[in-house]
Amino acid sequence: MTMDVEESGETSIAVEGDIVTCRKLIRNVITVAGFGMTDVTRIVTAVSELARNIYVHADSHGVMRWRVLYQPGQVGIQIEFEDYGKGIPNIDQALEVGFTTAGSLGMGLSGVKRLMDSIVIKSEVSVGTMVSVEKWGRVK
Amino acid sequence: MVYDSLSVIKLKNILLVTVPDDPGDDIIQELQMKVLDAIETYHSKGLILDISNVHIVDSYFARTISETSQMVALMGGKTVIAGMQPSVAITATELGINLGEAISTLNVDYALDIFTDNFSAV
Repeated sequence: MTMDVEESGETSIAVEGDIVTCRKLIRNVITVAGFGMTDVTRIVTAVSELARNIYVHADSHGVMRWRVLYQPGQVGIQIEFEDYGKGIPNIDQALEVGFTTAGSLGMGLSGVKRLMDSIVIKSEVSVGTMVSVEKWGRVK
Repeated sequence: MVYDSLSVIKLKNILLVTVPDDPGDDIIQELQMKVLDAIETYHSKGLILDISNVHIVDSYFARTISETSQMVALMGGKTVIAGMQPSVAITATELGINLGEAISTLNVDYALDIFTDNFSAV
């Protein structure tokens, strides 16, 4: 792949097509960082769910930030999704399987939690939401 | 966005669609409409979705495919999902995805077998 890969950066989420842009960007970053194929699929799928959340719930006002992290023998990726949307009134409920306000399957956030090593959600109603996820892999 | 990015191929009385590797939401919507139109036009008995190139299946993709297979069923047809990659199968299971009424096969050959050899048994 000829695309430049930055170990950290940010990109805005404004239109539907940005969901694919986020997926491609992170796929490149974590493939170069050395994640294995199954972890790449897990992480890119989580990115897709979280980027779509911004597109669907936050009137397309949001940003994705990423950072490659290193520890001895390990490589990690931290990805943050921040939006200026309506916020999540009850975060515990939003993480339940099957909970949805959008008519979808309601597996987005609960699924992301299973795909990643950690998920942190901060949200304030009418202000916005920040979802931060992290995953670590062994250096090949 | 209007563009022709998907081909629906008619093979005797079934349809074959090869899904691109990283399909956006617009492409998945387009797939649904094209498939249903083609079933009506060609009086097809079934649909094979070749997803062997697809390297990401998220909940939106799964929901649209599951809905599409329901719609195909309402029109009297059967949907077979062919060729899911191992990493996608792992991720989809962890995410909690299921594809509703659609049957899965390892590849397009096996999907064709379902419609030819064994159609009445499925």
